[in-house]
Formats: sequence, C-alpha cells, structure tokens
Amino acid sequence: MSDLEQRLTQLRRELDWPETPDLATGVRTRLGDATKPAAAARRSARRGGVRHLLPPAGLRRSLALALVALLVLAGGVFAAVPGVRDAVLDFFGLQGATVERRAELPAAPEFRPLRLGSRTTLEQARGSLGFEPLVPRAAGRPAAVFVKDDVSGGELSLAYRAGPGLPEAASTKLGLLVGEFRGDLHPEYLGKIVSQATSTERMRINGARAVWIEGAPHLFFYRPPDSDFAETELRLAQNVLLLEHGNLLVRLEGAFSRERAVELAGSLR
Amino acid sequence: MRARRGELDAYEEIVRLHQTIAFRTAWVITRSAADAEEAAQDGFVKAHAALARFREGSPFRPWLLAIVANEARNRVRGSGRHVRLAQRVAEERRPDDAVPSPEAALLDSEQREELLAAIDRLPEPAREAIACRYLLDLSEEETAAALDCPPGTVKSRLSRGLDRLRLELGEAEA
Repeated sequence: MSDLEQRLTQLRRELDWPETPDLATGVRTRLGDATKPAAAARRSARRGGVRHLLPPAGLRRSLALALVALLVLAGGVFAAVPGVRDAVLDFFGLQGATVERRAELPAAPEFRPLRLGSRTTLEQARGSLGFEPLVPRAAGRPAAVFVKDDVSGGELSLAYRAGPGLPEAASTKLGLLVGEFRGDLHPEYLGKIVSQATSTERMRINGARAVWIEGAPHLFFYRPPDSDFAETELRLAQNVLLLEHGNLLVRLEGAFSRERAVELAGSLR
Repeated sequence: MRARRGELDAYEEIVRLHQTIAFRTAWVITRSAADAEEAAQDGFVKAHAALARFREGSPFRPWLLAIVANEARNRVRGSGRHVRLAQRVAEERRPDDAVPSPEAALLDSEQREELLAAIDRLPEPAREAIACRYLLDLSEEETAAALDCPPGTVKSRLSRGLDRLRLELGEAEA
C-alpha cells in the first residue's frame, strides 16, 4: 500500500461521520404498516380521533381566541410569564397563533437553543404526525427535520441552512425555519409579542389568512397544553410569516423579505 | 433465508447489521445526513420488496449497496446540489444533533483538510470511487456495485484518482 493509500486509510479512521440513525426501526415500521392495513387504519383513527369530541373547528377557534383575549385583557395569561405585564395595545389571532402588541418587550436572550424536538426524516415524520407535512418547494429540501410531540398531532420543524435567497437569521442561525402544527386543535398554541417598532401586516396568500411580522425583533413562545405558563421560554424572533394552511398553522422565520416569504409560503406542498 | 419468507424480525436484524455502511454510502453520494437517511431507509424497503430476486449464495452487501446508492443518486439528481466533502463533514458535526450552526466544529487537522479538499477537487467518478474504496473501506466489488459500473472501471477510476491526488498534494507541498 502506497503512502497516499495509507493516509486515506488513516483519514477513514479520523473522519467524523454523521451518526448513523436507527434505520432498522423505521424500516420495520414501514414494512409492518405495509403488511398490516389495520395498523394504518388505527393510526389514521388516532390522528383524527379527538375531533369528534371537540366543537367544530371554526367554533373552537372563536371560543379559544375569545378566551385568550379575555385573559390577556385581564392580565391573567401572561402574568406568570416573567416581564410580560405591560398593557396590551393590540391583539389579534390566526388559527393556532395569537399576536399582541405591547409598549415594551420583556427581556429575552438574543439567541436561545431552538429545542425543535427529535431529529427525523420527512418520511418518518409523515408516519408520526397527525397531518401531512408541507415543504416550501421554493427552498428545496430541508437540511434537517425535527418532530416534537408536545401537542396532539405533533409539531414539525424544517431547518434550512443559510444560502442564496435565505440569509442567516440572528435568531436561529439558519436561513429558514419552518414550523407546522394543527392550529385547529390548538388555536392558541403559539404566542407572539411585538413592540410598537415592529410592523405587522395582515394579508392573504392563495386565499389563506396570513400575518407578516417584520422589523424590530419580536418575542414568541408556546403555550403547551397542560403546562404551566411560568415554564414558557421567551425567544427573540426575526421576520416571521404566520399562515393558516388548511387545518395547519405554518410559521416561516428568517431574515428574508416579505416578497420572499410570500413566495416560500405560496410554494408549500 | 428467514427474511425471504417474510419474517420481519429477521429482516430487521439484517438492517441493523448493514445500516451504518448503507447510511455512509448514501452520505458519500448525497453529502447530506438527512438525504442519506431517507435514501438508506428507502433502499432497505426496496431491497425487502426485491428479496425474491436476490440470488441465494451471492454476497448480500454489494447487492444492497447498489440499491441504496441508486436511491442516493436519485436524490442528488433531484436537488442539483454539489457540496464539498470537507465542508459537509464540518457542517454535519453537531454535538447535540440539534440544528446546523455556523459554530459547527471545524476539522482539527490541516493535513486532513488538505487531503479532503484534494478529494473534493477530483472529478465526480474518481471522487466517489476513492470515497467508497478508502473512506468507506468497501471492496472493489462493492464499490463497483455502489457506483453501478464494472470492477475494471473502478480500478481505472481509483488509479486516476490516486494519480491526481498525488499531483494535487505534491503541488500543495511545493
């Protein structure tokens, strides 16, 4: 073996290969499902299983938003979130998200670990989520896929590295971060707090309601079901587009322009 | 073979046995952990469906790697992406596997970087042959299966690749 071949062999030992994922479980699940139609039927039933227990989606959303609005105005919901006690100047919501404007933003770290859940693949996410994942085709394939099961139906995150058309956002260190969850099941899951310096524009994209938040960084947080609000972590966010897409609430975060955000949202499939 | 009789437990064992080499082979081609994972998983599923066509007595690993590598190549063709091996190695090293970040660890050896960069500059056929043969430690037969070419072609690609690397590294040292 030549010296170069020895160096290549040595390189093999020193290379930091990406960690091998547990393929066996995923393959077994897929093969098991393919041979057991009943399993797919059960999963399907689980996904939609809670719906018959709830009021119609539109009514659920109205009731939830009304409740959140009442609590906000009473200073109740956010009283447990440190620093979030200022008067609400404006309040509105989408199916799955609320946005409120305040005179001053509470303190929050510039960057906080994103806590997106478990690393997975789109293929596996399709099997575990209670909805069909949407991918912004205009951005190509995500660099990484994550799922979290804090809420029924699950939450999907797609991470894209910075690149042409997707400048790096200080808040995420990514070019694009996409979040998706069942907004119809969790009408108030995602909360936004914007300052007077932050621009918010309500719009429609392909007929769907959307909100574009741009300018000064704003805060966002989650209200996990059955969890104390005091444990909620505030995080600074950059430009964000919130979009109602069928029964999903889709969130696009990055340092891109409004036009680019609309293009990305319009390419969700 | 129990797996051919449809025993999923047996096939799951086979997947566990080969999942690392399958994933790394797909990674060498796609340069993306996420794509490699999907390609390898799809490859295993397709291999299971094709088990009836597998010739008993012949080596399983080259046959499997050919299927996985084909899945990986389909993804690269679909994405039109070309990312450097060295860059991708650095980007994929994420201690907590959380999200890609610019703080991802850099390769700590200049010599290693130099060699990786030189491999990156090779034409694709030679680069993939070098990566499969030396970085993945595949046999020539397995490399040929993964790259979908005859063993003789693998030999010539390896020879040209090594010559080119010597030239590149010699120039770099001069």
